[in-house]
Amino acid sequence: MAGAQDHDANLNADTAARYAAALLGNLRVSSVAAISTPHPALLAQRCGLADLVGFPHRAPTICPLPLAAAAEGALAALAVLAPGAFSGWSGAGLLTERARLAGLSRNGAVSPGGACRLLQAADGSVAVNLARPEDWALVPAWLETPAADFDAVSAAVAVRPVAELVERAGWLGLAVAADAWNPAPRPWCRIHAGAPWRGTPAPHARPPRVLDLSSLWAGPLCTRLLRRCGADVVKVESLQRPDGARRGNAAFYAQLNAGKRCVALDLATDAGRARLAALIEAADIVIESTRPRALRQLGIVAEDCVRHRPGLTWISLTGYGRDGDNAQRIAYGDDAAVAAGLSRLQFEATGEHLIVGDAIGDPLGGLHAALAAWASWRDGGGRLVGLALRDVVHHVIAFDLPTQCATLHTRARQWAAVIAAADAPAVKSDTGMNGVEAREALQRVSSLGADTLAVLADWGIAC
Amino acid sequence: MARTALKAGGRFKSATSEAQVMVIKAPAGEFDLSCGGAPMVAMSATETAAPDAADTGEALIGKRYVNADESLELLCTKGGRGTLKVNCAALAIKQAKQLPSSD
Repeated sequence: MAGAQDHDANLNADTAARYAAALLGNLRVSSVAAISTPHPALLAQRCGLADLVGFPHRAPTICPLPLAAAAEGALAALAVLAPGAFSGWSGAGLLTERARLAGLSRNGAVSPGGACRLLQAADGSVAVNLARPEDWALVPAWLETPAADFDAVSAAVAVRPVAELVERAGWLGLAVAADAWNPAPRPWCRIHAGAPWRGTPAPHARPPRVLDLSSLWAGPLCTRLLRRCGADVVKVESLQRPDGARRGNAAFYAQLNAGKRCVALDLATDAGRARLAALIEAADIVIESTRPRALRQLGIVAEDCVRHRPGLTWISLTGYGRDGDNAQRIAYGDDAAVAAGLSRLQFEATGEHLIVGDAIGDPLGGLHAALAAWASWRDGGGRLVGLALRDVVHHVIAFDLPTQCATLHTRARQWAAVIAAADAPAVKSDTGMNGVEAREALQRVSSLGADTLAVLADWGIAC
Repeated sequence: MARTALKAGGRFKSATSEAQVMVIKAPAGEFDLSCGGAPMVAMSATETAAPDAADTGEALIGKRYVNADESLELLCTKGGRGTLKVNCAALAIKQAKQLPSSD
């Protein structure tokens, strides 16, 4: 046991650099990120993540998992492929951006945003994320009993087994996840169709055109980073269902979406669907975060697009993956992280049931997606790459994870001591850490569909 | 006519295809729920029926189906051939849920 502890202590050096190297290795890129980063606990503290773990009105709880270091490493890996694009940026800072801008704080077993909470079921616990007001209309069908608030939901959940709660929620499109850790490795990305990773750069005459069909946080963060890499990013929204984040915190929306041109399409019409197909045809990278069936029902099959359009990179962001029953399930950042085992490992380490961070699956997913997208375009593309938020978080927390519980306890004490010794103030600034200042960003946000005609003309699509 | 009480969370399957539904909400009382021209059956039932050849409709997975006054709502949990009907009136697809403003 003493040997295992020493081993873990040694591993805490250069976590971010080693994580970057692991990601680049998965993409068969031989270059390495030459970065030197602080101890993973200090990274978590300086970016404000450490403050987002624990109960309100009490000191934060230490999270002995390398979330901030992995975010730092993922951005460093991307910077290897896009030299100079991220000087002065912090990958770890992206994890806490919304909490900083929206003033969110740690909330125990409830997410900082308030929509997700851990609840005790008959044989374990689950994360329940009722992010949309309409989700409450589905709760009676989910639990087979009327339940209009979280107290009633808690009571009904308490008498049902986890597996049944998760399965029924899956049918209904509710974000419910088992709070469990499974040590079996999960790759952070998978190639579902097309070419294996080549790793070597292909010649390109111009920067890539990125078509962003995603919404909320992970996908828009991905395309924000691709924009920094030099891509021409076009955000596409359905007139019927625009990005819901437009109604959320304006400064945060602006940070994610400033400078992107915005196209809006009526996907209920043949003409709107034809325009969408033409935009996909003209794009080099497509980013989307829908369940596969949603685009299929519009007549768009990602696998076919990749087959017919040489060099296309298609990034599919999902909660749990594109295959089988997983393809039907939805997830948001908080519940995906619980499904990955984050809250379970946190409990193993400190004995507290907590939501860790603010929708942390989203920024981690967006960072990894940007790396996969840029690496794919750079090496010639021609593939459909799937990233599941659950699997990305799992990959992060499995990195360097001690195999023994006692070692994780020891690490928690060591990391807490590192923070106590440093006593550095967490970053409180809401500007400047990454990219543009909030006020400047607000001025460069395109309204819904503001650039539709300009983009169609620019990308050579007949109106 | 097999009339059935519909309770939120209740599940039924088509006797003529692979289609399955879950009840999201329904008024009190009994209803004649059909797919492909034949009454829908309990999930445990083994009976099947020949589909109505004239019915070219299809139940789409993930879509929510409502009656005229939207007092009754079903979710299609497995896609399959056949029009979903309640008391002989075809159900209509309901507009998808709006995205949340944050998660």
